Amino acid sequence: MSVLVLSPWNGRISLRLHRHALVVAALLLVALIGVSVASLMSGSYPLSLRGVWQTLTGNPPEEIAQTVLWEFRFPRTIVSAVAGALFGLSGAILQYVTRNPLADPSLVGVSQGAGLAVVSAIVLFPEMNLVWRPLLAFAGALIVAALIQSIAMQRTGGATMRFILTGIGVAAFIAAITNTMLTYGDIDQAQAALGWLAGSIHAVGWPEVWSLTLCLAILTPGLIWSARYLSALRLGPEVSIGLGVPIRAARIGMITLSVALAAFAVAAVGPLGFVGLVAPHLARRLAYSGVGQHLLLTALTGALMVGLADFIGRIAFAPVQIPAGILTAILGVPVFLLLILKTQSTRQL
Amino acid sequence: MKHAKTDIEFLASRTGTVSAPCLRADRLCVGYAATKIVHDVDLQANPGEVTILVGPNGCGKSTLLKAMARVLKPMSGAALLDGQSVHAMPTRDLARQLALLPQGPIAPEGLTVHELVSQGRFPHQSLTRQWSADDSRAVTDAMKAADVAEFADRRVDSLSGGQRQRCWIAMVLAQETDVILLDEPTTFLDLKVQVDVMTLLREIAREKGRTLLVVLHELNIAAMFADHIVIMRDGRLIAQGAPERVITTENLAAGFGLQATVIMDPVTGRPVCLPAIAGPAT
Amino acid sequence: MTKAGWFGLPALLAALILAFGWHIAVGAKTVPLHVVLEALVAYDKSNFDHVVVTDLRLPRAVYAVLVGAALAVAGALMQGVTRNPLAEPGVLGLLTGASFVVVMAVGYFQVIDPAFIPLLAALGAAVTAALVWGIAAAAPGGSTPLTLVLAGAAITGFLAAFISLAHLLDQESFDRLRVWLTGTLAGRSTDVLFWALPWLIGGLLLALLLARQVTALAMGDETAVGLGVDVARVKMLAMLSVIALTAAAVAIAGPMAFVGLVIPHVARIIVGADYRAIVPVSAVLGAVYLLVVDIAARMVLAPIEVSTGIVTALLGAPFFVWLVRARL
Repeated sequence: MSVLVLSPWNGRISLRLHRHALVVAALLLVALIGVSVASLMSGSYPLSLRGVWQTLTGNPPEEIAQTVLWEFRFPRTIVSAVAGALFGLSGAILQYVTRNPLADPSLVGVSQGAGLAVVSAIVLFPEMNLVWRPLLAFAGALIVAALIQSIAMQRTGGATMRFILTGIGVAAFIAAITNTMLTYGDIDQAQAALGWLAGSIHAVGWPEVWSLTLCLAILTPGLIWSARYLSALRLGPEVSIGLGVPIRAARIGMITLSVALAAFAVAAVGPLGFVGLVAPHLARRLAYSGVGQHLLLTALTGALMVGLADFIGRIAFAPVQIPAGILTAILGVPVFLLLILKTQSTRQL
Repeated sequence: MKHAKTDIEFLASRTGTVSAPCLRADRLCVGYAATKIVHDVDLQANPGEVTILVGPNGCGKSTLLKAMARVLKPMSGAALLDGQSVHAMPTRDLARQLALLPQGPIAPEGLTVHELVSQGRFPHQSLTRQWSADDSRAVTDAMKAADVAEFADRRVDSLSGGQRQRCWIAMVLAQETDVILLDEPTTFLDLKVQVDVMTLLREIAREKGRTLLVVLHELNIAAMFADHIVIMRDGRLIAQGAPERVITTENLAAGFGLQATVIMDPVTGRPVCLPAIAGPAT
Repeated sequence: MTKAGWFGLPALLAALILAFGWHIAVGAKTVPLHVVLEALVAYDKSNFDHVVVTDLRLPRAVYAVLVGAALAVAGALMQGVTRNPLAEPGVLGLLTGASFVVVMAVGYFQVIDPAFIPLLAALGAAVTAALVWGIAAAAPGGSTPLTLVLAGAAITGFLAAFISLAHLLDQESFDRLRVWLTGTLAGRSTDVLFWALPWLIGGLLLALLLARQVTALAMGDETAVGLGVDVARVKMLAMLSVIALTAAAVAIAGPMAFVGLVIPHVARIIVGADYRAIVPVSAVLGAVYLLVVDIAARMVLAPIEVSTGIVTALLGAPFFVWLVRARL
């Protein structure tokens, strides 16, 4: 295993990097750009590569290209990539902290909590400004996460298994409340909420781009800070304490970070399932590396997954658009089942 | 009561001669919620020595160790490192002086030995300084000391139980602390491997002048390797001191409820406990 | 059966009759209980209340009784045979599997003959059961409550995605099925009931016949073998009964989650560990439970009616969480 140690500024800063992982990261980035470009080109108004380039650089071949690209396809492509990265990172952090390979924001009720908050807003306060959505989603997700934690952690032993099962139960409960909300609501709003719940990216525009970018900017320092602690936390709580990790603060901080990442992504594109579960595992299979690089790879993998899901959903049954959430579930479930079958020790579940 | 008194006298006689850091429990009481598990324990682990805690299952020896490693908070009393309460120190500062190997640690899937051992450098690193020459040297030294250098690039989960345990010990060594606490480091290992691991730990204490406090299940292994042995029962100390003094028929009866003969091993000069079968011999 | 069981059965039947009457009385127009009774024993075609009772409310109450009994007994059998407190047709994906096949057949192939609906549902339930158990058994550590629930949740998510996909591709055909997919007792045709009934009765009889062996099985496979039970055969037959009951319930009311989880646990508290008592008591309790739940579904947000399946989920999911906390 080749490890690269970078020590600029007289070793005041030093980083350890796995070469193989760097190569894979570069390849993932290339693939992501490829999918993004393909996604910019295709649709009911097809554009050539040249056309895309010309439009992006400011002299569109036709007037309509300008609108199609800038108002619809470009924000959509960006949002799907960023949201995918957020989901992936959220799942990775959750898996490290709970030491549970099956942890996923959509499996443990966090996505559903965010979803319920947003659906309630759509149904009860249809006039509400979009700006509030991420905050509402965050609040909803945080409440559900805290609820699950408090239920699952009260007795000792087997805590991670109880965590997952509790999450499934709470998720079912919240889904039922969400369904009630939809029954109660006005048919138009219910339709809007239903479309959003399916995990769809087709409606996004520049506001979502800005809000997601802002979220990512706010959370990135937290992510960089967390990588070091995650590498210790994955060895278990007692080892972490022995290594000098302030365990309570670190756990609460990480889970809050994970919840925030998932909630902001949910607010923008709806509760896409299984990305947070699959992306970290896929990233690890592609290249083994330390925690920091693994997070980077996970973000890229998640971005690629959602970008691809959105792209396929758009062209596979055109003119009908398949929401990305349906595709991530169809692709994610087999991987999930494979993980159940492959998880080496059931003690870890 | 009689034992407790001699213990305190014994502690007083020892503290005077010590200058390097020692780990001490001072009337330590520990428990979960309302139940007290460890009662008023006074105990001292000295540099250059292996101090071993033994006792029947559920006697509170692991709980005591966890409290002394600040994993658990004491209900009253204190765990003191060089006179300072370990629970009052910043956790990272303490991690540079005191290392802990908990019972049955599990490494995440795919982690290599080198990565695991490197993790021991955590308290010496920071956000901007992830890896230094010092870290490199400490990890190499630790792997050499624990004899796992040859596996450096292997995955921890592909190794045998004994090799794996040596890797975890190497991680703790890489932390380069004066005090090392280990909770049942030999459980589920073959007898030969148990002896290997304990020999390694004794070397660490003797040659590097470290303070080792170890919880052990196996009484005879403890008697063979301890410089100072502590018997606990129901959260209280029954006896402590040199193995020859502590491993006696009376103490085994008091501590374990075990009827046993104690003989001296002619080779090591250590006491060996031979359990007797209850009832008349045939 | 224990003494309490013998003593309790009349009480349970009384509760069933009371819930049945109440269920019929409640609605957009409240019909007094004595009028309900009159309509049932001395039907008068010219009395509007009587028509409402017999044509609209009576069928719905009958569905509630049948579906509740079927799901509760199915859940009891599954919990006994797998010794898994969380086993239930909904949690383990059988309901979704059954409704998936029905939705696809009705939506895509325009299968409207009600005779086929229970058959298709049974097919879906059987395939899903085989899948979920296969996955759980192949996982390291075997079919633990965790692996079974996870496999069930995964299959449910997978099939739900396909149902949404089909719905999107063909809005018109599938819109009709949307309400049914949340589990409802409203507006079901009596034809389906007619065709589902044989499945239901067959499943219930089989469950009663197996009850003695299931009691032995609930104590562990080895114990059961020691007691002279043909474990493989009993498991197979129990699964057949579960599939028949699930198919009948789904054909009538769609996927109604968590009914099979809650009721058997309550039954066990009342009558103990003997499945010869648990099975009949679960059937009656399930019927009472679904009648009451359906009353709540119509009253809570009146005049809007919430799908009965949503209410069973609202009540059942916390119970599931409690079970996880208390029993695992």
